[in-house]
Amino acid sequence: MANTTKTYKEEYAGYWKVLAGLLILTGLTFVQPTMFMENATFMVQMLIGTVKAWLILMYYMHLKGEKLIITFTYFSLFIVLVFFVIVIGFDVANFQYSDLSHITSGDTAAAVSETHGAAHAEPAHH
Amino acid sequence: MSHEYVPEIAVDREGQEHEVQGWQDDMYGAKLGFWLFMFTEVLMFGAMFMALTYYFTLHHDDFLIASSSLNRVLGGTNTVVLLFSALTMGLGLLKMRHGDVKGAKLMIWATILLALVFLGIKAVEWTAEYNHGVFLGLDALQAGNEHSKPFGQILFFGMYFTMTGIHGFHIIIGIGIMLWLLKRINAGKVTPEHHILHFNIALYWDLVHLIWVFVFPYYYMIGAGLTGGAH
Repeated sequence: MANTTKTYKEEYAGYWKVLAGLLILTGLTFVQPTMFMENATFMVQMLIGTVKAWLILMYYMHLKGEKLIITFTYFSLFIVLVFFVIVIGFDVANFQYSDLSHITSGDTAAAVSETHGAAHAEPAHH
Repeated sequence: MSHEYVPEIAVDREGQEHEVQGWQDDMYGAKLGFWLFMFTEVLMFGAMFMALTYYFTLHHDDFLIASSSLNRVLGGTNTVVLLFSALTMGLGLLKMRHGDVKGAKLMIWATILLALVFLGIKAVEWTAEYNHGVFLGLDALQAGNEHSKPFGQILFFGMYFTMTGIHGFHIIIGIGIMLWLLKRINAGKVTPEHHILHFNIALYWDLVHLIWVFVFPYYYMIGAGLTGGAH
């Protein structure tokens, strides 16, 4: 294991420090959509999620110092990223059958920029 | 052709050869094997996230409106519950490694309790959604009737119930294997010297937490900036 040289107290404190970091990032997740970078909510949320994931992987899942498994992880993420950016991005950018496709047919919601969502939103529950 | 027994030989860091008696204590091998299993989980959820992203690009506004209607208080509470459960699981493993078996068992029980709280909150949330007519199979999520939601919202809620449902199933599996772990500890099969099972179950629980780290913002937060949603 990567952390065998650490004492019990050091590791114990480490777990609580990571928890504190994760709680702060979770708090950021909550306030971001109404407090800052409101126009880039999706990207900011995913960025915060990625930082949280990194903390979990490195410290809670003991990946710090595990070169082989980290290499596997980065390779897997790279493959997913390739599919995200190239396959989906290219396909969406060049979608030629929006009038025929079942996926893109049906009622589309009114533009959020015009309505701010309030008039058309039907909350599932309060 | 002869079939005489040929012992398997392992070489230690000093170059000394040893006859292998079994692989039960192969900590690194067990850990690596479990990571390979977890990569299959990442691939499964990764495929669902890719589908979700694809639909999001096609039905951007519908997704934001549907997201704004989810209950962020319950979803956020569950996020914090899972955060603390990851802590208790990690502390349990730490205690086990340092010989505090009783403390480790206590931490596993705490993790099980938090997992049950998570499922309870999820049940409350799904029940409320069902009572508001938003659930798999109900008219609002079926195309072509007077109660139908816009198609993008049908896709959003379909993915939402599918992914949170599969995630919840992983929580239930997690509770099951934690109870099994307790049984193995009580039987003396998992000890501070032989704790690979505990280590791998802790890894599994962290993976379940890791998936929620992306499920929560993707479903609950992307539409949080819109007015009119539940808070």
